[in-house]
Amino acid sequence: MTEIAPAHTIGGYVPMVDGPDKVSGRAKYTADFIAPGMLAGRIYRSPHAHAEIIAVDVSEAVKLPGVLAVVTGADCDKPFGVLPIARNEYPLARGKVRYKGEPVAAVAAIDEATADKAIRLIKMKVRELPAYFKAAEALAPDAAQLHERKPGNIERDVLFELGNVAEGFTSAHLVREATYNCAEVCQNQMEMHAAIADYDAVRDRLTVHASTQVPYYVHLMLAQVIGLDMSRIRVVKPFVGGGFGCRTECLNVELIAALLARRIGGTVRLAINREDTFITHRGRPETDIRLKIGLTKTGRITAVECECTQRGGAHSGYGVVTILYSGSMLYAIYDLNNVKYIGKRVLTNTPPCGAFRGHGTVDVRFAFESLLDQMAAEMGLDPLAVRRANLLEAPTFTDNDLMVNSYGLPECIDWVEQKSGWKSRKGRLGKGKGLGFACSHYISGASKPVNWTGEPHATVKLKLDFDGSIVVLTGAAEIGQGSSTVLVQTVAEVMGLDISRVRIVSGDSEVVPKDNGSYSSRVTFLVGNAAIDAASKLKALMVAAAARKLDAAPGDIECLGETYRAGAQDKGLTFEEVVAEALKDDGTITVTGNYSTIPESHGGKKYRGAAIGGTMGYSYSAQVVEVTVDEETGAVTVDKVWVAHDCGKALNRLTVEGQVQGSVWMGMGQAMSEEVGYHDGLLLTANMLDYRVPTIQDSPPIEVGIIESNDPHGPFGAKEAGEGSLAAFLPALTNAIADATGLRFNTLPVTPDRVFDAIDKRGRTSKTRNGGA
Amino acid sequence: MATIIELTLNGRKRTDAVPGNRLLLDYLRETVGLTGTKTGCDGGECGACTVLVDDKPTLSCLTLAATVADKRVDTVESLGKGGALSAVQRGFHEKLGSQCGYCTPGFIMASAGLLRRNPRPTEDEIRAALGSNICRCTGYVKIVEAVQHASALLATGEARSP
Amino acid sequence: MEALCEFQVLSPTSLAGVLEARTAHPQAQLLGGGTDLVVNIRRGIVAPAVLIDMTGVAELRAIRADAQGLEIGASVRLAEVAQHPGVVAHYPVVAEAAASIAGPTHRNMGTVGGNLCLDTRCIFYNQSQWWRSANNHCLKTTGEICHVAPKSRGVCFATFSGDLAPALMTLDAEVDIQHAAGKRTLPLRDLYIGHARHDGSGQGDGKHYLALQPGEFIAAVRVTSTPGLRSGYDKIRIRRSIEYPVAGVAVALRRVGDTLAHLRVAVTGTNPRPVLLEGTEALCGGALDARVFKGLDELVRDQIMSMKTTFTPGHYRRRVAGVLARRLVQRLFAG
Repeated sequence: MTEIAPAHTIGGYVPMVDGPDKVSGRAKYTADFIAPGMLAGRIYRSPHAHAEIIAVDVSEAVKLPGVLAVVTGADCDKPFGVLPIARNEYPLARGKVRYKGEPVAAVAAIDEATADKAIRLIKMKVRELPAYFKAAEALAPDAAQLHERKPGNIERDVLFELGNVAEGFTSAHLVREATYNCAEVCQNQMEMHAAIADYDAVRDRLTVHASTQVPYYVHLMLAQVIGLDMSRIRVVKPFVGGGFGCRTECLNVELIAALLARRIGGTVRLAINREDTFITHRGRPETDIRLKIGLTKTGRITAVECECTQRGGAHSGYGVVTILYSGSMLYAIYDLNNVKYIGKRVLTNTPPCGAFRGHGTVDVRFAFESLLDQMAAEMGLDPLAVRRANLLEAPTFTDNDLMVNSYGLPECIDWVEQKSGWKSRKGRLGKGKGLGFACSHYISGASKPVNWTGEPHATVKLKLDFDGSIVVLTGAAEIGQGSSTVLVQTVAEVMGLDISRVRIVSGDSEVVPKDNGSYSSRVTFLVGNAAIDAASKLKALMVAAAARKLDAAPGDIECLGETYRAGAQDKGLTFEEVVAEALKDDGTITVTGNYSTIPESHGGKKYRGAAIGGTMGYSYSAQVVEVTVDEETGAVTVDKVWVAHDCGKALNRLTVEGQVQGSVWMGMGQAMSEEVGYHDGLLLTANMLDYRVPTIQDSPPIEVGIIESNDPHGPFGAKEAGEGSLAAFLPALTNAIADATGLRFNTLPVTPDRVFDAIDKRGRTSKTRNGGA
Repeated sequence: MATIIELTLNGRKRTDAVPGNRLLLDYLRETVGLTGTKTGCDGGECGACTVLVDDKPTLSCLTLAATVADKRVDTVESLGKGGALSAVQRGFHEKLGSQCGYCTPGFIMASAGLLRRNPRPTEDEIRAALGSNICRCTGYVKIVEAVQHASALLATGEARSP
Repeated sequence: MEALCEFQVLSPTSLAGVLEARTAHPQAQLLGGGTDLVVNIRRGIVAPAVLIDMTGVAELRAIRADAQGLEIGASVRLAEVAQHPGVVAHYPVVAEAAASIAGPTHRNMGTVGGNLCLDTRCIFYNQSQWWRSANNHCLKTTGEICHVAPKSRGVCFATFSGDLAPALMTLDAEVDIQHAAGKRTLPLRDLYIGHARHDGSGQGDGKHYLALQPGEFIAAVRVTSTPGLRSGYDKIRIRRSIEYPVAGVAVALRRVGDTLAHLRVAVTGTNPRPVLLEGTEALCGGALDARVFKGLDELVRDQIMSMKTTFTPGHYRRRVAGVLARRLVQRLFAG
């Protein structure tokens, strides 16, 4: 006889619950909802970088047969923006245009060809204004102002000093300062932006299908911008082809589609192409960093001074948060005492930047880990030893009041050290080959939501009905990261059921509870805990029902998933029998699970914006990258990556590995080939030939070590797995190149021409280790 | 001006009138309603739209529908018989070769094209065959494993067709 | 859904059918695999009223490769060239070049004729209609200036990026050019006229880069085998697939004993034409020594002119072309 036991999947390798849809072609993404009679939307974009709008002439476009609506900035005077404190962007430009490609007007027509023709008939009259494509230009004392309330074109200035930095540097054995430049990069998720808006004029209701990471934000902005009561709006998030942060804000695409649909009283599909998706942007800003670190003889960090300038683009977006993250996240990875941070988020006449995977942390981490490596080499210390000299001891609070409860970084370092053969191989690989090491970390969801409403941080509902199926209702957006799978697993685990009994509905505002969405790696931790809460409540109801039926005390009921019994000798009740009993009084059962972060995790008040960086749990990552550098062509090949990631507890080892590999690889793209380039403010690289996402031919094996530090607050001990390993790749790569060539690259990406030039400058013969480039 | 084309689409003959400027991609998605084939770029840079034309992986976003007359076109919807997943589909599902899923139909068709002509490819051959497809989620590690898994399923007879 | 300009597609199955279609539609453009032309149509760069699909033309789909010679019809797909045993065995430079073009799916589509006639490329040209219009267009389309070299006085610097041309040029290939009245044959190197000279010599540039007259098209390319010839192709790209070459180099040489008896080097991805380096004969006749490499470097420096037509800087493309040339010569000479 087989022992009856609850089913388990937590900690296993579980294919995604929506995988069969994706591999069969059944999965529908926004642009796939092709409806008869649907109209085609197109956007007219500004050819000017910075100009006062004198007139937008749409008269010829309106007259074109087949055109049903043309809208301009005159049709919508409500600004939008993800941060309540920084809403200064209009769906269609009003008064001024601030970057080349900014939407100015939009057309809905019977088909794409007609819409294209109409767009070409729109004329714009402007008075050109001086335009700034670099942060330094926009910061010049006499620069014209992009936005009225942003003097000096500064979106946000951040300055804090915690501890005594001057003293810290004085007490150091070695102080070094260096500057770094990281090119702007773009998410370039595979699915281009799309929205289908359907306005039902009879009932005054708007339904929008949107390729978004946060349906809730789209809902809020639609209400605000379209001027409809929130209750009249439904937002549906179908399958989404990746996000990586560019869809954590409501984009102009959703709003413009809705404006057109409302004008017509019909359905409009606005599916923008790759070029326009690049222009919509929300990528990682070009970042200039000046970093100064002091070390003792043993590698203890005595002081840090970091100045960070970000070219934010033409509108605020997430900018304030990004520049704050860049400072606050200096902490929570090493034990730092004396830190000064000077951050500047600058407004420029380029497409708006946003929250790209690893939001705010990546470029600063690149600088930090590069300088540590350089200083370790100069002092003859092992770079790993320098990190080990600066470890935190959890639980602890950092100097800027960030709460660290679990800390698997030491184990991460040990793992990659061992797997890569660091001790025996470092420095001994021969000419043109090298090993590099670096660490990084990330949050598991921000402790404070962007929109503070006083509601629980996450809410999950479960429905149990006569058929014995459990349906998880959640607003957490599945965007390919596996959130639906992890929530199904979580509920099934608590109930002891096979995951096949649990279904999930996510991302339809008509059905699911509101959720703050899929960003900053919040779903597993925050929504996962809410799912545990909900499943525990449901289980309690089932146990109570079983107790009633078996005439036993609830405390005596043993839940074995498919069987509930009152003791080992009891034959017990089947799941269906318990369900039937449980439904007797009130019929279909729904339970609500909630989760709220604890106040201790909310960050401090030591400086303005100090709450940014606060989270319930930090993930940690260590990486070793092995490279071969062709010193004649400058081509760098990544031969292998070893990465260890502390995700607290791997709820699903398959998806954790996938997320970690994906982050490392995305870091590789930024480090080696990806770069958003401009010519007079026009995106030079708005296509997938010139914006160089690595191909399978360029991509190395990535061996993943999962480190489980069991966070006391995490669901089953889990923390995030999808972002924290991105940042470490960048410095691990350049540290490896330094090991191979003796040259340090402080400018990203490290393209072959840059390597070639640096080697050329040095002269090909001498291989001086750890010199400057 | 429209041309009448007759083709074998996913094993079935069909006849359609297509304008000269209709891309095969748009013909499949908008005319026929097979939305499994995706578009990810403005022309030939990402491989999301890959289908098989006479068994050869082909970019449907750069192919004019008028030029596939009398040819066999297979899309992701053609794989898997009797409701079961094909070897490649199983590989991508079971080994997480698919995350967001958007590039997946293109990768699956390029992989199916590979396994139809070479059922036991080496890792290098897999990487070479998938060089026209971009994935933004996986870093490709599990895509290689997915195709290896599919190949193994074919070898053991656990799956009949790629 | 993409809205392309309206056009008609004709699909002749014979050479006679092509000629007939061309006579009926003199402005028609020829369509190979579409990996270049359809992209340009989608970008609104060209707007043909009629396309003639060449891929079904029986006479243009033959490939013959043996120890005597090589002849490839214009409609042969690149993948077929790359895998053809005769090409691989006897004309490795051609097989290697074909195998390195774009990515595998592109090679299933792209044709030899298409790659030989590949439109020249420039970062100011290969952009959308909106983009080019916001940038006041350029010489290669309807604009007044070249954004790469604003003082170019009417000369366009768009870059030729085909990989097959340099490979075949090192083998002294010739092309059969078909027109309504018959056929003419031209050394392949003379097909490319993108000299882009400022001297007003009236020669071609990045805009006028092929020596084809209206109504003419390439039917086949042909090579006569040279016994003892060693050949190879190498290129560098930022990514190892999909992209056009940052620089591509083809080399063919003959070694007699320890003497470099014959040398041809051709470069793509750098100039408005594939450049068969002039003066390589002068490097022959002796051992493969420092003099040869220095001379080769000088030839590259003098004849390779990489302008800012790509996102990757021009100076790098020129310099790395020299590196690839030297390496190939070394590898082939060593055998």
